[in-house]
Amino acid sequence: MTRPVSAFTSWLVPCALLGALLSSVPQRARGADDPREWLERMNKALATRNYDGTFFHISGGRVETMRIVHRVRSGRVTERLQSLDGSGREFVRANDQLTCYLPDQHTVLVEPRQDRGPFLGSLPQFDATVSDFYRIEALPATHIMGRPARVIAVNPKDQFRFGYRLWLDEKTAMPLKTQLCDSRGQVIEQIFFARLDMPESIPDSDLAPTVHTGGMRWVRQGPSVDNASEALAAYRASQLPPGFRLTVQGAQTLGGASAPASHLVYSDGLATVSVFIEQSSSDSGVAAAPDSQAQAPMQGLARVGSGYAFSTVVQGHQVTAVGEVPAQTVEFIAHSVKIYSGGGEIPHH
Amino acid sequence: MSEQIREQVSAFLDGELPDTETELLLKRLTRDGELRESFGRFALIGEALRGSGSQILTRGFASRVNLAIDGEPAHVPALATPPRASRWWRPLAGVTVAASVAAVAIVALQQRAISPKSGVSPLTAQNVAAQNVTAQNVATPLQTAATNQVPVQGGGGPREALSYTVPAASTDAPSAISPARLTNYVFAHSKYSSVLGQRGVLADLLIEDDEPQLIPMQRAAQPSPAPEKRVAP
Repeated sequence: MTRPVSAFTSWLVPCALLGALLSSVPQRARGADDPREWLERMNKALATRNYDGTFFHISGGRVETMRIVHRVRSGRVTERLQSLDGSGREFVRANDQLTCYLPDQHTVLVEPRQDRGPFLGSLPQFDATVSDFYRIEALPATHIMGRPARVIAVNPKDQFRFGYRLWLDEKTAMPLKTQLCDSRGQVIEQIFFARLDMPESIPDSDLAPTVHTGGMRWVRQGPSVDNASEALAAYRASQLPPGFRLTVQGAQTLGGASAPASHLVYSDGLATVSVFIEQSSSDSGVAAAPDSQAQAPMQGLARVGSGYAFSTVVQGHQVTAVGEVPAQTVEFIAHSVKIYSGGGEIPHH
Repeated sequence: MSEQIREQVSAFLDGELPDTETELLLKRLTRDGELRESFGRFALIGEALRGSGSQILTRGFASRVNLAIDGEPAHVPALATPPRASRWWRPLAGVTVAASVAAVAIVALQQRAISPKSGVSPLTAQNVAAQNVTAQNVATPLQTAATNQVPVQGGGGPREALSYTVPAASTDAPSAISPARLTNYVFAHSKYSSVLGQRGVLADLLIEDDEPQLIPMQRAAQPSPAPEKRVAP
């Protein structure tokens, strides 16, 4: 009876030793199989390759079919993301603006934006900071869509952020399947491709919106200003969850507002939280337009796709934190915002 | 879901469905909303059953599977589900509201939120406007424009933006986050969100019934549960 057990354990011990040995290999020695290497390969594929695919977006038990077309030509990225289901919504990113066609809302939303990463997303460079808060590991390789795939897990080390699991095509490093998970590994959202082509060239017609815009309202968000004025800059989160740092401080007049909102962006290198701070209209220093709408104070938590938003009132300011992070992270950050008026020392995170 | 389709979906998720059959299945999924919905539940369960990654099967998981098999949405936990078992409960973890009361509210809300077209999605400003106008009997020119859906064509700055965002009625007590304002925040945030996150944000905005799922809990402005470690300011 004991024999098989001891045989089993004697086989286990060398394995455990080997495992310990492997995990102690310095991270500098990154080979072709290093999970980080694969993430970087994925980054590059998403940013530089042409692709045209149909994928399922599964969140909260709902499945949406979407098509993505991504073209890089002469260093310029044009991208179209289209819902193939009922709404017929489409996003087109070209010429430094994002245009959202919302036929079900009879609305076209236009937002100026810098040429940034692809819709489908990629990961930033994995530096030491990211490693402090996420554990990156390779899971056993598998097949997906009949293709050999690498499986990479990006696990959060605490409950202030979500993690990812990525199934990367062995050949192209494209993410054939992506899961967003919480710190306990429960899947929150997933995306997987039913079809993925990587053509040499993509015609303009595949990037043109299919929505007819006749009779639709066109709405433009105000341009965002990355260097906000002194007055607007006098806001900071006094405390942050581990690893989060201020990365952008700006201002933007959001739809419906009479004055620009201060916009702070905090990131741990992977997860990002935006904080919007608006003066309540009664004590706004900005001369409000006669028909300006008073914005009612808000308090509470809301689910936003795979993330959360939390809004509260701090010293007569509406403070709202939004991000693809757990609820406690947006709550924590929103509650810690301080208004530094009167030349007080502003902490630099 | 018929047995045949169930098998097909299962094979598809395992990457073992032949390409020709995959085509057919996907075409079918694209056409058939009901099938797609059950496929979604099936897919989630399949994922969990295969134990991709290090998923631990909890009691909550089991009850969710049962719910899904019974044809209930997989993500609406039964009230008997242990509070930490499902993701819908997680936000409650640090909340001082009595869990059972809040749970009822959340479940009720979820059920309302997931029934199609039952609520106001963040961008149905004209609907919000219409409601507000009726309720308050106040029609500013902008609200009227929105209500009548007068096209505001091209160009312009923030003024146009007013036409699709309608503030909530002014009350003394703070209200929940208004869907229209929330959409503005999310939209502005998506630009800065990590690119992987951005995909999720935008995909979520693409979804038809993507009304934000408001969690109607009025809370005292108190600090959230202290984290184990805080970075010094």
